[in-house]
Amino acid sequence: MLARDWRGGELGVLLVALVLAVGVVSGISAFATRLQNALTQESHRFLAADLVARSSRALPGEWLQGAAQRGVATARTLTFPSMVFAGDDSMQLAAIKAVSDEYPLRGELTYSEQPFGAVLPAAGGPARGEVWLESRLFPLLDVAIGDQVSIGEATFTVAAAARTEPDQAASFGGYGPRLLMHYDDIPATGVVQPGSRVEYRQLYAAAPPLLASFRGWLEPQLEDSQSLLDVSEGQPGIGRALARAERFLLLAGSLAVVLAGVAIALAARRFSERHTDYVAIMKSLGATSQRINRLYAGSLLLLGLLATALGCLLGWSIQALFFGLFAEQMPVQPGASGPGPYAVGAATALTCLLCFAWPPLRRLGLASPLRVLRRDVPEENRRSLADYLVGLLAVSLLMWWYSGDLQLTLAVLAGLAITVVLGLGLALTLLRGGRLVGMSAGSIWRLALAGLQRRGTANAMQVVIFAMAIMLLLVLVLVRTSLIDAWQTQLPQGTPNHFMINIGPEEVQAVDQMLRSQDIASEPLYPMIRGRIMAVNGDELPRSDDLQANRRQRESNFTWSDTLPPGNRLIAGQWWPVQTDAALVSLEREFAERMGIQVGDTVDFLVGAQPLQAQVANLRELDWQTMQPNFFLVFPPRLLADYPATFMTSFYLAPGDKTFLNRFIRAFPTVTVIEMDVVVEQIRSIVNQVSAAVELVLAVILAAGALVLIAGVQSSVDARMHESAILRALGARRGLVLGGLFIEFAAMGLFAGLLATVAAELSVYILQQWVMEMRYTPSPWIWPLGIGAGVALIGGLGVFSCRRVVSSPPVALLRAL
Amino acid sequence: MAGTELEILKGITLEIKSGEAVAIVGASGSGKSTLLGLLAGLDEASGGRVVIGDTDLGELDEDGRALFRGRHVGFVFQSFQLLPALTALENVMLPLELQGQAKAREQAGEFLQRVGLGARMQHYPRQMSGGEQQRVAIARAFAAQPSILFADEPTGNLDTHTGAHIIDLLFELNREEGTTLVLVTHDETLAQRCERRLVLAAGELVAA
Repeated sequence: MLARDWRGGELGVLLVALVLAVGVVSGISAFATRLQNALTQESHRFLAADLVARSSRALPGEWLQGAAQRGVATARTLTFPSMVFAGDDSMQLAAIKAVSDEYPLRGELTYSEQPFGAVLPAAGGPARGEVWLESRLFPLLDVAIGDQVSIGEATFTVAAAARTEPDQAASFGGYGPRLLMHYDDIPATGVVQPGSRVEYRQLYAAAPPLLASFRGWLEPQLEDSQSLLDVSEGQPGIGRALARAERFLLLAGSLAVVLAGVAIALAARRFSERHTDYVAIMKSLGATSQRINRLYAGSLLLLGLLATALGCLLGWSIQALFFGLFAEQMPVQPGASGPGPYAVGAATALTCLLCFAWPPLRRLGLASPLRVLRRDVPEENRRSLADYLVGLLAVSLLMWWYSGDLQLTLAVLAGLAITVVLGLGLALTLLRGGRLVGMSAGSIWRLALAGLQRRGTANAMQVVIFAMAIMLLLVLVLVRTSLIDAWQTQLPQGTPNHFMINIGPEEVQAVDQMLRSQDIASEPLYPMIRGRIMAVNGDELPRSDDLQANRRQRESNFTWSDTLPPGNRLIAGQWWPVQTDAALVSLEREFAERMGIQVGDTVDFLVGAQPLQAQVANLRELDWQTMQPNFFLVFPPRLLADYPATFMTSFYLAPGDKTFLNRFIRAFPTVTVIEMDVVVEQIRSIVNQVSAAVELVLAVILAAGALVLIAGVQSSVDARMHESAILRALGARRGLVLGGLFIEFAAMGLFAGLLATVAAELSVYILQQWVMEMRYTPSPWIWPLGIGAGVALIGGLGVFSCRRVVSSPPVALLRAL
Repeated sequence: MAGTELEILKGITLEIKSGEAVAIVGASGSGKSTLLGLLAGLDEASGGRVVIGDTDLGELDEDGRALFRGRHVGFVFQSFQLLPALTALENVMLPLELQGQAKAREQAGEFLQRVGLGARMQHYPRQMSGGEQQRVAIARAFAAQPSILFADEPTGNLDTHTGAHIIDLLFELNREEGTTLVLVTHDETLAQRCERRLVLAAGELVAA
């Protein structure tokens, strides 16, 4: 029976809809699972481990043994500042990092064979007796690869230029250029003594259950001076971009479920309409309702199995394609997704079939055998309200289960509800607006309008369905556009990729001049003062070494400015007048929240050994994801005039201009330059790849949307074909028939587009405001897009589906119908 | 279509005079309906010519034939072919509207009165019996005042009594309007009421 019905066309739509639903759902789910997987690894990478213990005193060796007994891999690092000597008179303060053989446990260590040379991956850190110097340390010490340098009492050979370490950010204390050495060489140097400014770390890595059990053993043994770090320590900038992309993909997948569900429902309904006569004949020949139900249930089951198999294959291909695109940019290999996503796909197929395809087919069993004799016996395939409710409930649950996000589900449902309500309103208006008489076949316009009105209810249903499909597509296009825009504005071409700190006040002009003379685009030079926040409204803040504690005395960088720094937004209070002498301070919002400080509070600071008191004038919000200098605390310039300041800035250096750093460092040896170009490039390339994946998903969903439109148009073609054939037999020209059909469909498209645009804007507003945590901006361009797409797509598809009515002789049509 | 071409009608030459009533009879599959479709310009012949008045239908394209049908030809089908979404009155108005007639409503109403359905103008086809539906179809066919009317088994879906009533109506209107009538039928009594009988067997005209 399946093969025979294939030719009917509805079965094709049914199968394609099911395959797309399963494919998109399982593909996106597998992609998201593996991406999540990679993301977690990515953040572990920034620790160079899964878990880190740290202290300023040596950590117990028993912990390493305990870890080994529990199947947990370990490594050790030690960081400290020390003078490095070369030749007779070169010396430089450097940030020394000693690492054991196993380092890093997660992520990648890179080096280059020459300072600022090509970046290569390293299997491990420096061998014993060797050191790697950060590129800018070479000119500072006036050494080359192969030369000798000494630290304390030991002498080492310079073997390579150190480029990146996974936990570089962690040791980014601003102590000067880095030097990498072997952990076991430390005793020979003799520089690490009790009381030295050092940080000991033990790195641990293992599968989650092993790690959890080890953590359970370790945690009770921690002393006050020891603390644990894990990935919750704040994700890097990439994290948020990828997390949003993942949400987008889940949203897309959820929409695919809705679209496919609607397509399946439409196709199944038309299928059952077409089969009413067939069932009537079978019944007149003695088939019972049960037998007919078994027959159709069997066919449906077979169809479901076929669709699930094909869909899983499609899903696998989709995620494989995505990872194919990603492969080069992925810093770590994503893990396997497991069978989970495919189970999700199969469950989707089952739900869609049960809730959308089965109700109309089940009614087939109720078809009256009398139809064999009398065509005017009504067809038993009216969908009841219960069917719609079951379908809606099923879709909502599927979306919720699938996205794991109630807000996201509700945002989409709100959009759909608006569409339905507006659509029904439209239907009522159409029906109430005084019926035009007859076909009004005299004019193409009146013919079309009369047609619209005559089929008022059916058309309104169709408009709602078209509008739902268009709305979902618009939502996706809008979210995708703002997502990609947000990424692009975050990292535009020429984003600063180097920071410069520790510029003395007397050097400011010279540094600025050197940057200008080389045509290097830089941010303004910001003054920076190191200070400590001590008390709020006279209440001394607790002293604590716990970096997690919100309210505590803490060190921070202050700056001064007469104007609100660029990229900052004032959210409470007033900015101060230029050249004010008042003792005021401006705080970053989250910082103020953590410390429990409000506008008007008085805060005490300690700068060096000098106390400073200021009243909180305002709160600012700023975007930490931009590569610009950002400050928690800003003061009026006159207030800080007497305190010792250094300056900082950030600038963009093209890859070909890196040698500028050598000249710069020679000219300003005390200035510290932090190279972020590799990280910026990495973020940019990942963002580009995620954008590509987002575009690809969009294309797949567009296909699902087109399918709904096709199924929707098809579902009304029979009645229209019959009318058109009679019109032609009675002497209507092709142009009239086709033109009337086009106008009718286009008008439906117009209404659908309008509804869809309104609902899409609302959905996107909810989504961006609460789910994506992005700022909502209205998009006027979607109005012409939504309405234009509605008219063109539905008008075109309608005429295309009905083209047979004018291409074949009317007698053939009247016989066939 | 199963690959090979079928020749349904072979070497048929016939002339029907204006105002004449002609019955085409023959067994199922003899080609009666095909011939009717060709004569009425509802179908395109693969060979030969159909000339109505001065017009050679073969020289017209589909739109030309549509215009011609609208102006000169009326139809009554075995399965009525009424539009379910239109009332009886609207169904009858349809060909008049296609011709752009200003008084379509009045004229349609008049013809419905003449077939005895004056009281049921606002009813939909599904609310009517088969005989009533066929009467609406007859009113629709005559309302446009065609010069030639084609009827395909007009009583095929009706019981004998209703069928007889429909035939009476058909001939009565035919006489009043002076229309040429061509009908395809199995019904011998119906055929006998025509002035001429054309007998088709296996696509060939065997008696005229």
